[in-house]
Amino acid sequence: MPIEINWQLLMPELVIALTLIIVLVFDLFDAISKTILGWMTIVGAGIALWVSIQMHQADRVGTQFNEMFKVDSFSLFFNIIFLVSTILVVLISMSYLDRGDRKQGPYYLLILLATLGMMLMAAGNELIIVFLGLELMSLSLYVLAGYFRESPASSEAGMKYLLLGAFASAFFLYGIALIYGGAGTTSVPKIAQAITADDKSPLLLAGMFLLVVGFGFKVAIVPFHQWAPDVYEGAPTTIAAFISAGPKAAGFAAFLRIFMEALPNLQVEWSGVLILLAMLTMTVGNVIAIAQTNIKRMLAYSSIAHAGYVLIGLAAANDDGISSAMFYLLIYCVMNIGAFGAVILAKTEDGESLMISDYAGLGTRKPLLAIFMSVMLLSLAGFPPTAGFFGKFYIFKSAVGAGHIWLVIIGAINTAISAFYYLRVVVTMYMREPEEELEFSPYASTLVVGLILAVVGILLIGILPSLMLTPAQNSVF
Amino acid sequence: MLLSIVIFLPLLGVIAIALLRGLGATAVKGIALGIGLITFIISLGLYIEFNADTATFQLGGTPIEWISSLGISYHIGIDGISLWLVLLTTFLTPVCILAAWDSVEKGLSGFMMSLLALETGMLGVFCSLDLFLFFVFWESMLIPMYFLIGIWGGERRIYATIKFVLYTMAGSALMLVGILALYFQNGNSFDLTTLSGPFEHSDLLFLAFFIAFAIKVPLFPFHTWLPDAHVEAPTVGSVILAGVLLKMGTYGIIRFCLPLFPDAAEKFTPLIVTLAVIGIIYGALVAMVQPDLKKLVAYSSVSHLGFVVLGLFSQSSAGLQGSMLQMINHGLSTGALFLLVGMIYERRHSRMIVDFGGLSKRMPIFAVIFMIVTLSSIGLPGLNGFVGEYMILLGSFVQGAFSKVYVVFATAGVILAAVYMLWMFQRVMFGTLDKTNENLPDLNAREIVVMLPLLLFIVWIGVYPKPFLSKMEKSVELVVTKVQTTEPAMGRLEKQKPRDPKLALQGTQYIQHEKREKEAEQ
Repeated sequence: MPIEINWQLLMPELVIALTLIIVLVFDLFDAISKTILGWMTIVGAGIALWVSIQMHQADRVGTQFNEMFKVDSFSLFFNIIFLVSTILVVLISMSYLDRGDRKQGPYYLLILLATLGMMLMAAGNELIIVFLGLELMSLSLYVLAGYFRESPASSEAGMKYLLLGAFASAFFLYGIALIYGGAGTTSVPKIAQAITADDKSPLLLAGMFLLVVGFGFKVAIVPFHQWAPDVYEGAPTTIAAFISAGPKAAGFAAFLRIFMEALPNLQVEWSGVLILLAMLTMTVGNVIAIAQTNIKRMLAYSSIAHAGYVLIGLAAANDDGISSAMFYLLIYCVMNIGAFGAVILAKTEDGESLMISDYAGLGTRKPLLAIFMSVMLLSLAGFPPTAGFFGKFYIFKSAVGAGHIWLVIIGAINTAISAFYYLRVVVTMYMREPEEELEFSPYASTLVVGLILAVVGILLIGILPSLMLTPAQNSVF
Repeated sequence: MLLSIVIFLPLLGVIAIALLRGLGATAVKGIALGIGLITFIISLGLYIEFNADTATFQLGGTPIEWISSLGISYHIGIDGISLWLVLLTTFLTPVCILAAWDSVEKGLSGFMMSLLALETGMLGVFCSLDLFLFFVFWESMLIPMYFLIGIWGGERRIYATIKFVLYTMAGSALMLVGILALYFQNGNSFDLTTLSGPFEHSDLLFLAFFIAFAIKVPLFPFHTWLPDAHVEAPTVGSVILAGVLLKMGTYGIIRFCLPLFPDAAEKFTPLIVTLAVIGIIYGALVAMVQPDLKKLVAYSSVSHLGFVVLGLFSQSSAGLQGSMLQMINHGLSTGALFLLVGMIYERRHSRMIVDFGGLSKRMPIFAVIFMIVTLSSIGLPGLNGFVGEYMILLGSFVQGAFSKVYVVFATAGVILAAVYMLWMFQRVMFGTLDKTNENLPDLNAREIVVMLPLLLFIVWIGVYPKPFLSKMEKSVELVVTKVQTTEPAMGRLEKQKPRDPKLALQGTQYIQHEKREKEAEQ
């Protein structure tokens, strides 16, 4: 039986794949400037973004390949998150990579491959497809984390990420196998039909917990978070930004899809686990972040804590919970990439300034940089009028609606704790005098453009949340 | 429309300064002062337009849908309670801008921008009728204050500013949960005007709101951030902090805690009033032994705000009106005290009482103004402090819903205030003049201009408080009715005659008891 393919539904993925090939081919010519490859990536991702938005607005949805691939407003919304992240990451990468001794071609190629993997994960309606997407994404990220071969830290980050990531993938795959054993299928809708409320085989439960472990590793939930600070610290800063944003969103996309669509009948079992993990993740992430002196490690722990906030939305498990998790992931990606971008911007002649104490006096010496950084950090901390405030508010609202008052109280207290370390950076920038005069490099224009986009986005969504809220609410499966 | 202009005009000033900061320091100061004055003049329009015959919210215009899918709208308006706090804010801001004219050495434009942004935040808090909007303003006003203390503050400014932010955030975290819980009980709406109890878990909801406000007031034992913040903040920061920010706490109590959860408020009254009285006496005693002028004024704030809380929970019209008036009075006199301390600090670079003595010989104008403000803070008849404190004590004693013993102890606070303020005044102004102080110049014209409007209102409220009280009367009475009983008609009857607090309490309980029995029968 010939398979009928609706090419229109696959447009975003096809555009990315095509861009990938073009970048691959153009990389062969030594004559052209490699920065062009970055622009090609941006244009490709931009077109895919535009197509995704159009499809989302027109509600052009459907399934492909025997229901293995499901294009719905949910996956399209996540496409928007991934592509926005990719564009921002490429924008902050271009000047960062532009040093004679670094190969740029494979970098953009791998970023595109990872993006494709994420899109597969969001649209996977079949556990195997989700796994394929996960591996496509993860393998690209392992290489990217170790991209600066001359730096021992980067190599170590790549190796560490590979080893722990491989374990996580194994857990995930084992979970799929057990679920197949319990339900007799790996298709998301069929699993849901196979599990009835009173028939919960131990195989299914074990499989479900293994999936939690696998996802837990990928999105860095406590207690599966150990890799994140080391990898973020060692990996190139742009890649730390990338790993903390898109792939985390992709992990949550598959997490949401599988748990809400395939395992809704096990909700009694998993919601308790998720509540516990959410509390642990927020608290551990925020408390350890307080002790950090290196800004990349601080942002790593902060991104762990933010995974905890998103988990609140998952644990709420109602429509508001899902859309609040999606909304939060979108703005989280923008503000986190923005924060890492500001770190890259604070570059001195002998490398990046990674110690928080290096930022002393930036408020007067580098006002633009200090403003970028402050907006991002205040948004991460959840102060109005930034988007971070509304994101957290909406997540808390969904959880109160689901009756998880205690979870919200813990989350709200965590917000207050997190304000301490975010504000500490702001304090350092505006209120402390520098101990030594650091010579900062001049700003790179692409980086500044990326950061301006992020700042404008964060403030715009903060003041008019409906712009993204309505699409998010319309994207619940 | 007028109200929106008042709220957002200062924000416009922030943008104007950001764009025009290149024009130099004088231009920045000019813009800031101009915006501050225009905002004040427009806000006087609110006073004129305000209709005092009704307790409803007015002048806000129709609500504008903001985040429609969550039932959030831009809904503002003022009643007789918020009107005064709005005016206090718009009045104090230009005074502060003028007071900071020469004292800001670095980052002048940032300073003025923070001050104006703060004004928008504070005005928004007082005018919001949507819980979400209220919370947005409540949180966003933290950031400019954080910068004001942290950048332009004293030596331990960073510790003080972080403590201030964290205390407030810890409180508001709980309030956020309370707001969300109310939202679901209010038919998925954040609209304050449609909120009406009784609510489920009203005790917990009451506490969620009350703790956030108690930290802000600050009520003993949540007060420890206040002396740090006051001492480290620049003069103007202290003025705004004492003058307006603390009032956000008492405003929250009168706007949310009392009318929304009357039963819970009644239940917790003994505890809260005890804390308020402890605050009154403790604040006064600690103020007495402070060697630092600014710290003394800061602790006197703890004492004064204790009076306000006492009046708020008295369930009497006079007590609540007294509290409202005392909020304004405290803003005026404590604000003036901080300004005076700031002026002497700029001259001598010390705030230690031991460093001064005999100043009245060198600085007669300063001494006269200081005397008037000191007497106002003590509550001398004929000045503003007397009217407020008298009404609070009278209301609490005659009609109060709690034991008279509290009031007796609170009255001791009035005497203690006289002790610490007059003793301080004596040590600073009289006695032998130290050599180092011989060349201190008296107040200049600008400083006198800063102080005059404050003095005007200090005397005005003291001599003729009626225009102030008459505008707030209806709104305060509405709160009192809501608190006294859940049955409004009975509340109005009750209010006619002064009542023995014990009898009244039994009366209210009796009505509720009967009501419950009737319901049970049905």
